[in-house]
Amino acid sequence: MKDSCSSISRLLEKHFDRETTVDEGILVQDHLRQCTPCQAQLKSMEELRTTLRTPVDETVQKETFAWVWQKIEREIQDRAKPSWQESIRAWFGLSFPFRRRVWIPAVAVALLIIAITSPLLFKETPSHTELSIVEYVESHTNNVMVFESEKENVAVIWLFEGPEGESST
Amino acid sequence: MGYEEADLISRCQMGDQAAMKEIFDQYREKVYRVAYGVVRHREEALDIVQEVFIKLFRTIGNFKGKSSFYTYVYRTAMNTAIDHVRKLKKSTSLSFEDEAEKYLSDSPEKRPDQAAMDKELEDKLKEALAKLPDDQRAAIVFREVEGLSYQEMAKAMGCSMGTVMSRLHYGRKKLQQLLRGYVKEGGKT
Repeated sequence: MKDSCSSISRLLEKHFDRETTVDEGILVQDHLRQCTPCQAQLKSMEELRTTLRTPVDETVQKETFAWVWQKIEREIQDRAKPSWQESIRAWFGLSFPFRRRVWIPAVAVALLIIAITSPLLFKETPSHTELSIVEYVESHTNNVMVFESEKENVAVIWLFEGPEGESST
Repeated sequence: MGYEEADLISRCQMGDQAAMKEIFDQYREKVYRVAYGVVRHREEALDIVQEVFIKLFRTIGNFKGKSSFYTYVYRTAMNTAIDHVRKLKKSTSLSFEDEAEKYLSDSPEKRPDQAAMDKELEDKLKEALAKLPDDQRAAIVFREVEGLSYQEMAKAMGCSMGTVMSRLHYGRKKLQQLLRGYVKEGGKT
């Protein structure tokens, strides 16, 4: 290998890749004429390229890619089919920002209505067991009225002594 | 990017399947060459082609035209092929006998001994390529298989032309060492 080989080394690869300027190309070709190791290096690079490229060139010619496109097409079509949520959105014909502006106050109003009407709708009605009992007993001496509340265990008794008087315990 | 290609991409972005087919027909061989160059296996390369175009059509809405479309395609193809190799390393592959049988049946026009020799070289090549760092492998495939210029490679790989040359240089050197006995080494050290 000549001393100038190291300086030409970088240009040799550029020359092999057809990336040299005209002047650089002349320089490399002049060097190659008198340098066997650089010729061998160039040949080795050519061999490597052929080894890498030839099988690819051979197989690519055989490919039709028909089934590959069919698979891609199927994939695209599957993705293009709208989901049921998208179908509902489309049916309402609302775009996303519009839908957001409309439905937030709508939901708020609905919740307010439910909050107002639910106490009326689900108002508790007293059951028979919770009814108070009032009894009235008439006698010759005192008339008695008894009020009993079952829920709170409270009893009120009125004693009526006569037409004017009244006492309670 | 020419007007026609810009129009084609714009139609693809609107979901026009005829435009997608045109894009596929235009780039399928390029993508296949990159994929095959990396994986060195026909079926795997075809799977990669399929994956690349599905990815491209799904993300084509993000393509703003700031770079050339072909560099976008090449970049997607290379990344997908390298990811595929990484995944494959983790999972189990076909046995050597199965692969050899498949290779021989794929090459009916070749003499059996020639086909076997080619298969051996392909295996060695696949092994050697797998040993290269990803960026050197990408540089080798872009240049040696697909024949891209340094400038095109720099765009596709997102680096300078100097980096491209360096990756190519070290990639070639390493491949020549790994393929000693199959490919003649140069006179330099």
